[in-house]
Formats: sequence, C-alpha cells, structure tokens
Amino acid sequence: MHEREALGVKVSTVPTLEVTALERDLATAVGQRNCITDPSGLSTYECDGLTGTRIRPRAVVLPETTEQVAAAVRVARAHGMAVVPRGAGTGLSGGALPVDGCLLVVLSRMTKILTVDLENRRMRVQPGVINLDVTKMIAPHGYYYAPDPSSQSVCTIGGNIAENSGGAHCLKYGFTVNHVVAATVVLADGSVVEIGANAVDPLGYDLIAAVVGSEGMVGIVTEAVVRILRVPELTRTFFATFPSTDEAGACVSAIVSAGIVPAAVEMIDSLAIEAIVKSTGVDWPLDVGAALLMDVDGTKAEVEHTAAAAVEIARNAGAIEIRTPKDAAERLLMWKGRKGAFAAMGRISPNYYVQDGVIPRSQISKVLREIASAGATQGLRVANVFHAGDGNLHPLVLYDARVPGEAHRAEIVAGEILSICLRAGGSITGEHGVGTDKAKYMGKMFTDDDLESMNFVRCTFDPQRAFNPGKVFPTPRLCGDIPGHFHAHPTELAGTAARG
Amino acid sequence: MTTATIRGIAATTTHAPSTLDEAQALLVAAAAAQQTVAFVGGSTELGFGYAPTRVDVLIDTTKLDRVIEYQPADMVVEVEAGVTLAALQAHLAPHGQRLALDAPDPKRATIGGLVSTNAFGPLRARFGSMRDLIVGVSFIRADGARVRGGGKVVKNVAGFDLPKLAVGSLGSLAMIATVTLRLHPLAQAALGVDATLSADDIAKVVRESFRVQLEPAMLVASRQDSGDYRLTAVFEGFDSGAREQRERFLELGRTFDASIRANDDAVAHVAARDYGARCAGDVRVRIAMPPAEFARAERDVVGPLVRAFADVVNDGAEPSQTIAYPSLGIVFVAGTLRHDASADRANIASGRVADAIVAARRAAEVRGGNLVVTHCDDAVVSERVDVYGTLPPSFALMRGLKDRFDPEHRLNPGRFLGKL
Repeated sequence: MHEREALGVKVSTVPTLEVTALERDLATAVGQRNCITDPSGLSTYECDGLTGTRIRPRAVVLPETTEQVAAAVRVARAHGMAVVPRGAGTGLSGGALPVDGCLLVVLSRMTKILTVDLENRRMRVQPGVINLDVTKMIAPHGYYYAPDPSSQSVCTIGGNIAENSGGAHCLKYGFTVNHVVAATVVLADGSVVEIGANAVDPLGYDLIAAVVGSEGMVGIVTEAVVRILRVPELTRTFFATFPSTDEAGACVSAIVSAGIVPAAVEMIDSLAIEAIVKSTGVDWPLDVGAALLMDVDGTKAEVEHTAAAAVEIARNAGAIEIRTPKDAAERLLMWKGRKGAFAAMGRISPNYYVQDGVIPRSQISKVLREIASAGATQGLRVANVFHAGDGNLHPLVLYDARVPGEAHRAEIVAGEILSICLRAGGSITGEHGVGTDKAKYMGKMFTDDDLESMNFVRCTFDPQRAFNPGKVFPTPRLCGDIPGHFHAHPTELAGTAARG
Repeated sequence: MTTATIRGIAATTTHAPSTLDEAQALLVAAAAAQQTVAFVGGSTELGFGYAPTRVDVLIDTTKLDRVIEYQPADMVVEVEAGVTLAALQAHLAPHGQRLALDAPDPKRATIGGLVSTNAFGPLRARFGSMRDLIVGVSFIRADGARVRGGGKVVKNVAGFDLPKLAVGSLGSLAMIATVTLRLHPLAQAALGVDATLSADDIAKVVRESFRVQLEPAMLVASRQDSGDYRLTAVFEGFDSGAREQRERFLELGRTFDASIRANDDAVAHVAARDYGARCAGDVRVRIAMPPAEFARAERDVVGPLVRAFADVVNDGAEPSQTIAYPSLGIVFVAGTLRHDASADRANIASGRVADAIVAARRAAEVRGGNLVVTHCDDAVVSERVDVYGTLPPSFALMRGLKDRFDPEHRLNPGRFLGKL
C-alpha cells in the first residue's frame, strides 16, 4: 500500500511437534474453527496499519466468548508464549504487531452488542464491535457514540480502548477514556475481572484509566460499557480557505479565544487538499494555502450564534472563501474528504510516513514552518491534515520507496517532527499510540523514573509481561520483585529497530 | 498552618514546604527514616477515608501555591498542588477562562486536594469530573523520585495514564506535586429555573430535557421535608443560547409544576445549597447509582435515610440536608446528630442512623452503585458503618498498584479503600 516500505520480515520457525501440541490445546480452548496455525493463514496477521514491519505470529485465535479468550491466554502462558491482542488491525503504531512466537488473539469475532440502556445512556458491547456500528445501533433513537477516529467504519471498540482512540470530535467530547465506564478484562493468568461500574465514581483507583490506552499491555477487554450521548439539536459545518496555514492557525486561535468550543476544527494544507481533491472528487479550490473544516454543535440558538461568530472571525482572519454545506449530503461529503485524507495521499506520492505529534495550539504556525523546513532539508514534501483545535498534527512525510535512501530520509524527517513537537511542549502521539513505532521516542518525552512509574501500572496487571511485550517502553523493563520471562522485541532481534 | 490531626490521629511533625524541592526533600528524608507521610491541602475533605494508622510527617501543601504555566491561547494551566480553586479561577477569569469544576469551599479547597478526593460540583452535569479535566500530573513518589505523567496538551496518549490514576487516590500513591488542567471559556450567561417536583417527576423532566436536546450545565435538586425536591436547572452559553434553552425548559417543566419560574441568581443559590448539604452535618454520605434509578432511590435509599435522621433529632434543628444531581445519579445526604438527650438515648439515635445508612448502602449496591461515608463525627456511626462498603471485585489490582507505588505503605497508610 502507500505506507512505509517493508523494513524487514521475520518469520519464526518453530518445531512441528510443538505446534501440534499447541494446536491441540488451542483447539480445545477456542474450537478448531477459531484457530489459525497454517503459514498462509498466519500471514494475514503479520502487521497492523503500520505495514512496514511484519512479524508472523506463531498462532492466531479468534475467540467468540470471554471464556474462550481466558482459555486461550492460559494455553499461551502454559506454552510460554507472549499474547498480543488485536482488533481490526487498523492501528497506525504497530500496537497489534505480533511479537516473535506469540499467540495473536484477534477479537474480531466478538461482535455482539449485549445491552442498550438508553435511560442510563450506556451500552455494553463486545470488543469486536465496529466503532460506527455502536452509533448505527442507537442512531434511530437519536443517540451516538462520540469517539470518531477516521477509521471508525472499520476499527473496533476493543482496539479503540487499547489505543484510547480519539478523532476529530474529541476536541469537545473527549477521547475513548472519557466514554468507557466499565469493562470485563481477561488478565495474564487467565482470570477474568470486572472493572469500573455503570454508576459514576466506582470505589478505589481509576482502573478504567489504567486499561484504556494501555496498548494491549495489561489484559484483554472482552466486554465494555460505553457512554452514549444524545445527538445535538443542531450541527453547523463550514469550510474556509486561507492564503496559508498561518492565517488558518490564527483563525483557530481567534475562534477559541472568543469562547467558542467547536465540536471539531480540522486543518488541511495545500498538498493535502490536492490529494483529497484528486482522490474523492470534492470541489475544493487548489490555489489556496490551507483550509479549515469545522463543526459547531449544540442547541439551536447557541449554534446559530457561535456559527455566525466563527464565520465572522474566519473572515477577519483572512479567509478567502467560506462555504457552508447546503444539505446533510454535502456536509457528509466534506467530512468524507477529510476522513479519507490519508488514503488520498497515494494520488500525490507513492509512499508516506504519518506522524501523530501534538503541540500547544498557539504554536501551530511556527511548528508547521519548522516541519516544512525539516522536510526540505531532506528534500521531501510534508502534507498536513490534522486536528487543529487540539493541536494534534498529522504530518505526512511523502516519499518514493523506489528511490534509494528516500525511505530512510522520510524516517529521519518523521523523527525530527516528533522532536519539534516535544520542543514545543507537546507529545509524540495524540491518538495513534506509541506501539512499536514510537517506543524509541518515549525516552525523549519521559524520564526513566516517569517510565518506571508507568511500568508499575503495567506490572500490577501483568507481572510476567505476557501481554504485548516490547511495546510502548523504549527499553525492556522488568517488573521488579516478580520475575517473569522476558521477550526481546522482535525488531530488535531482527536488527531493524534500535532503541534510544 | 492547618490542622495537624487527621481523623483523630495527630501528626508527629507538620511541614509546610514552599517549594517542590523542599517537599521532595521531606519525602526523601521520610523514606530514609521509614516514616509515614500524609498530605493536607485546604482541609476541606479531611474527614474522608479511614483514620490513618500513623502520621509521622504531615505535609501541608498550601504554600505550594504557584501557577507554573498559563498560556491562555492553549486553554491549559499547570499549577502547584496548593493553589486554591478560588485563586485559580481568579487567575483565569481576566482571560475569559475557568476550570469547569465548581467544588464546594473554593477559597480553601486546593487543586491537589480536589484531584486527590475527586471533588466536584454541579457543573459536572455538563463538563464531567476531574478525570475529564486533568491532562497532566507530577508526583513526588514515596521513594522521593519526581515523576510526570500526561503532559500539557489536551490530546495525548503517550504512555500510561498517571494523571487519572491520581484522581481519587487520596494521597495513597504519591504526593501530587503539580497538576495540569484543561480549561473552558467562562459562560457569557448562566440562567436558571426553579421548580418543585416529586422525585418521579424530576426523573421525567430530566429524561424529557435530554429527549428535546437541551444541554443543562447544572441539574441540582434539593430535598424538601415533604419528600418533594426543589430542582434548579442552569443553562449556560452565549446570551441568546442560554435564554432560548431556559424558555424551552420552562415550557417543558410547566406540565409538571405550574409554579416553575426563572431564577437569574440560580448559580449562587445552587452553590449555597450544594455547600450546605455537602459540608455541614456530623454524618455525610454520598450515594452513586445509575441515573435512571433516581426515582426509585428516593423511595428505598434516600427517603428512609432522611427519615432516620428526622426521627432521632429532638432539638428542633434541621435534621438533614439532601442534594441530588439527578442526571448523574448522585445524591448527598448530610445529617446532624446533635441533641440534648442522655448518652443512652444518643447511642440509640446514632444506632438507628447507622442501620439506615447500612440499609441504604445495600440498596445502592444492589442497583450497581455505592454509598460512601464522606465525613463522620459520630463515634457510634463510625464504629458500625464502614467508610466504603463492599470492596469491588478488582480490589486485588488496586492493592497491587499501592504495592508498586508505595511498597512500604508509608503514604497515608490505612486511609484508602480496603485500608490500604
């Protein structure tokens, strides 16, 4: 596809006899039809959305119940295997990348919506339910599920929980962690525990916050209770073009300074506009420097006021043109353009490397210039399409893998982008997760003591480090007094990823 | 300096560091000397939790009162733990911003204390609780290490979520040194409505207001002696928006209460009632249940508890105050057991209240909720009613977190859930 070129492929070789015993145990645990151990079947699961790195798991199971997940985890542990959970495999940071010799537990067959409780605004779902299907189920009643990653039509709730997924509308409504209230979790010893509660403020520490965003490193969520929201009375969308990202950035700041909390504000620069126009056929102008796509929602009178105020601000900020969709279909098309932006990059570049850094909103213009300059230094273009309201950049470093050295230069630019974000006081990831991809940058954002404290959380849940070992942390970490089997990160073994 | 006693346990020494370095030095020294350490901010919620088993060193955070970083354009602020809520709001207001959290007693309550106790006020109906507002934290750990989690940007998924782990941790994991918070704009208008309604009708009005897509910033109901509630709804926003919402709510509410009326001072009234019902009384409880249970809760959780207080008070004082956040499923009941009776009669009275709390807790737990005793000055009630109730099934994981962060159990020992 249009991702990074393959960095290296490592296929584990395992004695046949052992696989047979494993096959037998896994079939007992989850049923034969839910097991994959043949090489061609396994190859489907060698990577997630970060396609540049591939590692073949030793076995894959697709359990259908909590009990089957627990049984599969017990089998894996009995065979000394690491366990890597996976949803739809859309993650962009390698969170669901197999580790060498692991059991990959794929939750995509756990697709039941278990309960819908409109009165309490809660739904209990299995982890394989597609994000958008939650909303589809309750849309007829006027409710929706707020977190809306761009992959929402294919990504799963379980994957969203692992990554604490966001989306354009989390500016106003928060991230996955703000919308999950309880969960059933299978732990590394195969036990099952309930965390959180339907009611607010369950007793004790906030274990939901420990699990959401843990990138598959503490357990496997097999059921989740999510909050659902009433659809706002009115949503107004507008699309405004600007001479450059400077004016567009200033517009975002001015809107926020005016006391308006938009539901979403997305910025799209000229390169990204070009790609989206070529790919989706939206009739956006090509001769502009940047565009903003913005939603304001809420009650009718409030939105009419804020939308009018925002348009006025955009005009004063130097907008070239301001469009409002004439109907729901046109609004949907605008958003489709935005959400299809990554896929559209293929129209302007054979390959791209996407980053997910975050910066304080006030520094958007400055940082975008630094990013462009970092790209230029390596002779590469960088397209930007991102969540401007919360400063969550998605710089797309464009390159051609067929040109020797370009992929490497793209990685250098991508790394430099994260350094720029950190210097601006931001973060290396706003919603894609650390996973494999950004583990080596964690040490630039956090000290050893910071990481040790985070490791306390992980080790509390999984002292043997059975789940997703080698992810998130820049250097392998033990769990102190409780010894376990350490699994080196496969990319390290393959010599393809260094850690800093 | 604030009180040097926590739930009857006197601290051996009290220190009020004025820099984070000094605070760190205190924790390093305590670690070396194997001393227990407790923390106190504005002392507004010191009654919450079990009595600590021992307090060798009490760290008073109120001199850690600096705003570390505030860029209005980013709508994020980082403060030291001892900054009071009122001081923070005063710092933000000139820029048209606020922390959208209106916990009681803002002049005393510190940000560190609010995080530690997961405190909140009526605005929670719209803006959520501390876990929805905190974006970064720095700790001083039991071993004296200074660590950070989260960051100073609102959107950030790098690493495990230490900020939210601090929320409600009651000083049991680490000292909260600094807190980074996301901010919201100050509302141009905040317009209220008052109505008097039965618990059943409150449930209906709340449901109906969501159905017609109103977005109240506050929904607060205080219980009257009759068993009815005085419901106050507040609508925030730009003037035209808040006004339109209020008109629609008035219209909606008229079906249930013909005397429903606008109240332009609703925010102040709500704050006063909220404070009264949450910060007064010898015995205070907080009940949480799924919100749709509110009407039933009045019948078999709140009502019986309120009647128990009423039955045992014989000096004409107001026996109890109850305030509910019906859209969230939260009810606070604060009762007073002052009376002129003999010691025997006092014990009987306290016993009745204790029984009523235990029964109310059972009813709340059956419905998937909980009842926490947030303050108790009555020895008999303390003796007979646990602070938290039934331990959650995930308690072993919580004990694990405590063991990892504070392996020697020296921080606020014994105070937290399960006497951790």
